[in-house]
Amino acid sequence: MQRPRFIRTLTGRRLDWTLAAVAFVVSMLPVSALLPWTDDLARLLSVPLAPVTHFGLFLREQVRPPQAAFDPSAPETVQLEREVAQYRMLYEQSRLEVERLERSLATMRAVSARVDAPETRLIEASVIASDPSRRTGVLALNAGERHGVRAGAAALVDGDVFAGVIAPNVGSFSSSLIPASKLPSIGARIFPPEGSDPQKPASSYPGAVLKPTGRGTWTAEVATSLDLAPGMVARLADDRYGRAALGSRIGVVVSVEPVEQAPLARRVEIRPVVDLDGLSSVVLAVPAEVPR
Amino acid sequence: MRWSIYIVAVLLAAALDASFGSVLAIGELRGQFLPAVVVFALLSAPRKIGVRLAMLAGLVADLLAPVVLDSQEVLVVPGPRVLAFALGALAVIQLRSLLYRQNPLAGAAATLAFSLLAAVAFVFLFSMRALFLDGGAPWWPGSGAGEVWRRFLGAVGDAVVALPTLWLLGKTRPLWAFASSTRVSPGLARQGG
Repeated sequence: MQRPRFIRTLTGRRLDWTLAAVAFVVSMLPVSALLPWTDDLARLLSVPLAPVTHFGLFLREQVRPPQAAFDPSAPETVQLEREVAQYRMLYEQSRLEVERLERSLATMRAVSARVDAPETRLIEASVIASDPSRRTGVLALNAGERHGVRAGAAALVDGDVFAGVIAPNVGSFSSSLIPASKLPSIGARIFPPEGSDPQKPASSYPGAVLKPTGRGTWTAEVATSLDLAPGMVARLADDRYGRAALGSRIGVVVSVEPVEQAPLARRVEIRPVVDLDGLSSVVLAVPAEVPR
Repeated sequence: MRWSIYIVAVLLAAALDASFGSVLAIGELRGQFLPAVVVFALLSAPRKIGVRLAMLAGLVADLLAPVVLDSQEVLVVPGPRVLAFALGALAVIQLRSLLYRQNPLAGAAATLAFSLLAAVAFVFLFSMRALFLDGGAPWWPGSGAGEVWRRFLGAVGDAVVALPTLWLLGKTRPLWAFASSTRVSPGLARQGG
């Protein structure tokens, strides 16, 4: 039996050119045309790959175990350091929250609306895959809508380190984490390494809008009369990423340079606290109402 | 050539790249298994299906590497790596008659050429996309020039990773059922004369 004419036509070089043309057209489709179906297609592919990626991640942890953020010593000390870091974050968080409430008091009708805000739900999610072509690419997590994950939820690592936010297209059983270094801007407050002085108001510490540099760090121009020095800690002071993440550590100041155009301002470069490349799990803070 | 074996090998390599791959990174020099698998198939498979083989692997690579948009959405763009791998495959297909396939360095050199050409096509296509459409570039907030340099280092990494990978794949050659190019012509001895 003879094959249909279009099958006879689509062979050899002609088939290659047709496939290349289709690939080019799809590559150049606008976001609105790709968004509804490509993400589902990628998820479909990730299902058969899941056992292999889990095995690969297990191997990775054996070959290169995740580096601890503290000096390994006695278990009690380790526990204590973890608690100190956690309480310091809670302390800074509450101070920033107080400052924010004071600032917005004039425009808000009732404080009770904020006090009665629903509790944040914490969800632990494992990293099941990372972008193989780059260090700071999107991470795939094994928690989705069925687990309560919502778009915009903040991801925390080591208890108090801000790692990024959940992308809007959340799947039923998986989601994507946009690393903090891929966010266009992050509002932060810069504190001394030992923490803020309880006698001083939180607003006296310099605020900064961190912009990614492309080298895995952030830069910001800070206008303050206070001393800025390497080693200072940048903490999240941005309502867009949820209240639970407020006060969490983002990075450490690695350099301070003067700005010629603005004598009172200085340009700081901030290095992230955590390297997402070796990350195996994150904790997602999912509020009932995620700010967008 | 058995397509089923190729598809399994591509999926395995892509999954290992997405999980175990970061162990092989030294700074920005990061090798991947997938280009080595494609080059292994390209060096032995019939020429007429070479581009299609590479396109399939490119599609898998595209689906596993989403892009972050300005609107903070994650977008999967199937296409740029399909075309990039196709271009890389064309180069390897042209080169393969010059290469001594049993030499592992020849495979690594072919992988380097494949990855370099694929990188150029990839950066070009995404630059076009970023220029004319509303899509973000995967290298944001870095620059396109920085991405070219990073991809060059990645191609070197791919070539290094290809050395053991091609050796391992060589051990599985009977499974792939590549057509043998050795022709046996009947002579007097074979005809019993």
